Amino acid sequence: MCDWCTKHGDGGKWYMNAKNYSNELAHRENLEAYLTEQWRAFEQVYIRKIMGFSSVDLGHKLQMPIIGRLLRWNAEKMIHSEGKHRNPVRGDGHFGQVLPLEDAKLILGNLAAEPIIENYCMCRWMQRGIKEACCINFGVLSGVIEKLPRFIPPNSQHRITREEAIARLERNNRKGYVASVWFQPVPYINAICSCENPECGGLRLRRDFGLMTVYKAEYVIEVDPERCQGCKSCVAMCQFNALRAVPSLGRVVVNLDECFGCGTCRHACRHGALRLIPRESVPGLRGRY
Amino acid sequence: MRGRTRVEIDYSKCGDGKGVDPRECAKCLRACDPAIFILHQTPGVKLDPWDPQLWRVTPIWLSLCTRCMKCVGVCPVGAVSVRW
Repeated sequence: MCDWCTKHGDGGKWYMNAKNYSNELAHRENLEAYLTEQWRAFEQVYIRKIMGFSSVDLGHKLQMPIIGRLLRWNAEKMIHSEGKHRNPVRGDGHFGQVLPLEDAKLILGNLAAEPIIENYCMCRWMQRGIKEACCINFGVLSGVIEKLPRFIPPNSQHRITREEAIARLERNNRKGYVASVWFQPVPYINAICSCENPECGGLRLRRDFGLMTVYKAEYVIEVDPERCQGCKSCVAMCQFNALRAVPSLGRVVVNLDECFGCGTCRHACRHGALRLIPRESVPGLRGRY
Repeated sequence: MRGRTRVEIDYSKCGDGKGVDPRECAKCLRACDPAIFILHQTPGVKLDPWDPQLWRVTPIWLSLCTRCMKCVGVCPVGAVSVRW
């Protein structure tokens, strides 16, 4: 468990704590107004300034001596901000964690606050100009997004039931999209996304710039060397280059440092060789999210 | 290290309501393998905050650019330039 489970998990995983989904929390913190402000121009989040620097050429800015370290410290503080002075036009307090389909089903089936909507993914829209309805939002955020026509698919029922939400998430997961759950802003949870790397804004910042916008899942994948036939089907499913086929071994090996524990590779395996094990059960990965 | 790359977009040819609408074109966004471009509302314009109409493309993740020049080749109005 990472710090966020200790702080907001009430003894379990942070995203399994029903309190973090409640409308009472949203109303108490006046989050509807905050989220409206944030979502109205969310595509501009990358060009907003942190410490006077925009994210244009962030890779270069983070490499600068002294300034780069200050910028990184400031960005991390912003991403994980729980303070009263959060700025809604930036990504303050907005971060998440990858999770396997099983956990996501539990959330959508039991914990997520209604209404549940399926809307266009903002990250794919920003990064590729593609509108794909695969983002599942719930709680007060649903009402906020419904007012923004560019996120709502035309001619379709965007309000969905829990069963529909689970079915659509599973369909996306089988495509190879990574399920992730998001604080927005911490500790309020209102989204389950189906992400691609590097199109996802969170995965982009985490994987390419080392900012902790997305935490790895509570699990990692394990390959059963007896069962694996080396067919390489799983390798094509991995968004993180964590799986590699070794022809001389006749099987697939895992790079545990790269594995985010999303478990999408399991959908491709016809031999039952892949399973998720708790991240904490691997000594070298304990506490490394 | 590759050194700094500069990717620039000529906003008189693309975006901001002049020339091509990047929401309909989006060729550079899709041609770029490392996805260094982002599409966003033109800042400073407050015409309709709910349904903004002025959009532009910004080359943002410049350190990930591999100088493959695909964006230059694919742009229908020649608005993209890559220098280093």
